[in-house]
Amino acid sequence: MSDYVKYSSMAEGDAFLDPIPSFEVTKERVEKYIQSTNDETEQLQIKDDQGRQVAPPMLAAVYVIEALRTKVGPPGGIHAKQQFKFHRPAYIGETLFTSANVLKLYERKGRHYVEMTTETRNQDGELITSGMITRIWGKET
Amino acid sequence: MIELQSYAGYSVGDQLEELSQSVDQSMIDAYADASGDVNPLHIDPEFAKTTFFGRTIAHGLLTLAFVSRVLSQWNWQGWAYGGELNVSFLGPVYPGDTVRVSGEIDQIEKRDDGIYARCQLTCFCDDRKVVKGFVICKISH
Repeated sequence: MSDYVKYSSMAEGDAFLDPIPSFEVTKERVEKYIQSTNDETEQLQIKDDQGRQVAPPMLAAVYVIEALRTKVGPPGGIHAKQQFKFHRPAYIGETLFTSANVLKLYERKGRHYVEMTTETRNQDGELITSGMITRIWGKET
Repeated sequence: MIELQSYAGYSVGDQLEELSQSVDQSMIDAYADASGDVNPLHIDPEFAKTTFFGRTIAHGLLTLAFVSRVLSQWNWQGWAYGGELNVSFLGPVYPGDTVRVSGEIDQIEKRDDGIYARCQLTCFCDDRKVVKGFVICKISH
């Protein structure tokens, strides 16, 4: 039996991630991300008046995709489109929870497309990032 | 919604400062480590030879990190606090490529909660368009 998610097993409106995974925004992870992307944005190096240090907005690409990787499709899938809305940057020390819902399932040129909405909130329920991802689902064997 | 031609120093037709970033395998490996996305298509040349691409490719989301650097430099506040991104991935970035990120304001609009600029965005590797889409940033309350 395959351990990946089959296209036919999903329905529009389904919650895709259950349980909802968590992501710790640690200093180490943020620094690694900043270094690997050569990001020299000044605001990432300074603390705000409450002593908090922000992570790059696009760290969303890490915590959202990591959450989605807890349930994967067949090998060979392709990331086709991405939408993000950054409500505010995450702070180092926060814990983030990303939920995902299947928005649309459709077939085009023999390929299966899956559109999902995502929403990331911190440990207090504060909205950090929302988005939509379109994936071409890998072929099932 | 009211469309404007310019507002507070921002005008339709303004170009964002172009970013040029070379990508090599060590950068892809570092991003894989930082993001946790260790798909062998990105980091294992022997495996990648067996795929459609014939060699390793960069994570699409690494290219979006370059996009985020451009937007962070241009308008940190508007990007990190309410910025929106909507892009399609059109082609791969290979080790040895140089990614050029460019953008141009094509719309300025007054919404109920402020003034927003929309930028058309393109990422090229030489003449190959690898990402296209748009971003929206708040430029004034």
